[in-house]
Amino acid sequence: MSSDIAVSVKNLHKSFKLPTEKAWGLKQAIFNRLKGIKGYKEQKVLNGISFDIYKNEFVGIVGRNGSGKSTLLKTLAKIYFPEKGSVEINGTLVPFIELGVGFNPDLTGRENVYMNGALLGFSNKEMDAMYDEIVDFAELREFMDQKLKNYSSGMQVRLAFSIAIRAKGDILLLDEVLAVGDAAFQQKCANYFTSIKGQQTVILVTHDMNNVIKYCTRAILIEDGKIKLDGNPERIANAYKNLWDK
Amino acid sequence: MAIPNFIYKGNRVLLKELTKTDFKLRYQGSVLGYLWALLRPLMMFAILYVVFGKLLRFGGDIPHFPVYLLAGTTLWAFFTECTNQGIQAIVTRGDLIRKVCFPKYIVVVSATLTAVINLLINMVVVTIFALLDGIEPSWTWLLAPLVLFEFYCLTLGISFLLGAINVKYRDITAIWDVLTQALFYAVPIIYPITMITATSEIAAKVILLNPIAQVIQDFRYLVITPETITTWSYVGEGTPILKFIPIIITIILLIWGFWYFRKKSKRFAEEI
Repeated sequence: MSSDIAVSVKNLHKSFKLPTEKAWGLKQAIFNRLKGIKGYKEQKVLNGISFDIYKNEFVGIVGRNGSGKSTLLKTLAKIYFPEKGSVEINGTLVPFIELGVGFNPDLTGRENVYMNGALLGFSNKEMDAMYDEIVDFAELREFMDQKLKNYSSGMQVRLAFSIAIRAKGDILLLDEVLAVGDAAFQQKCANYFTSIKGQQTVILVTHDMNNVIKYCTRAILIEDGKIKLDGNPERIANAYKNLWDK
Repeated sequence: MAIPNFIYKGNRVLLKELTKTDFKLRYQGSVLGYLWALLRPLMMFAILYVVFGKLLRFGGDIPHFPVYLLAGTTLWAFFTECTNQGIQAIVTRGDLIRKVCFPKYIVVVSATLTAVINLLINMVVVTIFALLDGIEPSWTWLLAPLVLFEFYCLTLGISFLLGAINVKYRDITAIWDVLTQALFYAVPIIYPITMITATSEIAAKVILLNPIAQVIQDFRYLVITPETITTWSYVGEGTPILKFIPIIITIILLIWGFWYFRKKSKRFAEEI
């Protein structure tokens, strides 16, 4: 893999086994095995996806519900393993499939930051280095020693979001999380994303074509588990709108 | 690979954070807090002691029977706590597993480590009771941690194996619940093994092939009284290989459990 490629995906296939029986347990499993029923049907979600993402590209992945975007993202994040094909990552990857994973209401803000960091694979020392930036971005310094359950929901997502964008990884994966909090904070998020456009590798799954046009340097349109279009964000945004305007 | 993985710093940090959180949150909101880690097994012991030690007089002529009983109940409490937490670990942490990628075994190990911390605290209590009851400290006490380590390996093996199956078939939780009830009576905890040897030597030997029984009896032998009947002393005259059966079972369960868990763990995120 050449050194300016951040993510290389080759011929990626993924399918899920969806149970067809209502009762799902040991009893049913034994019955099914005895009767020779499979008990599930195979649902193809990713159907041969290949692309290379270069360093510092801001890539938007768009597509309708159920087209395989999130599955693709989870496969990139190694949460799902590829059934066929390969995913190669060059550098550290920081996935945010959802904000505030592992947040515990009974821990303080500070403890939650370190916990979240540990889940993403950062050591305490690495987190020490990022901690101030995270807290400053979230504007929550005086609340860090309070329990998370005493935070307002807006404060919680601000903290989670700040971890997401301040975590020092080479590649950032975001699933539909771009702006949180009140109008002022949303503006701050928007400024941040504008500032990193072309400076950091970001892969973003979104339905908002305005964001695609504003932040992305490249976009990929996915339909039925295949890449339909890949290229200029404006062209992709139009193609996305045309999906059902035919 | 699993072993270098464990040494990788990020994983150790995660293990530490998860265990710390678990332990911290467990008794949160209760007035006595951490004290419950001590009080629960002590109360359990008090009940069993009154019923089986005083009313039914199971103790017979066993020296230091209260401590003997306490050691048994403490180890048993560890076994049930450890396996229950371990088997449930993956399912309870399902939200994490669906959203972040990290080695899944960390979740199981961290769940069992909380039980290990409790066991260590309770071992202090057992030691205090032993000294109060007039048991002389002996060099054999130094071997007790080895037996405890064997016990931990056994519970970890069971946790990995059943925890992995439990992801898909939640029936395991219910089955294990009943099975532990049965095991409680199949192991000489409340009754001394001498009660069995008196009626059937074969039955006693079968009981002693169970690694749980072997660990409990060995621990009592090392810490409380050398008069304890152990697997080593009682089983396998003529066929010495039988003496190793409990240890072989432990090793097989640990390796099989870990292997099976690793094989299944890549699909946990989809199946939870």
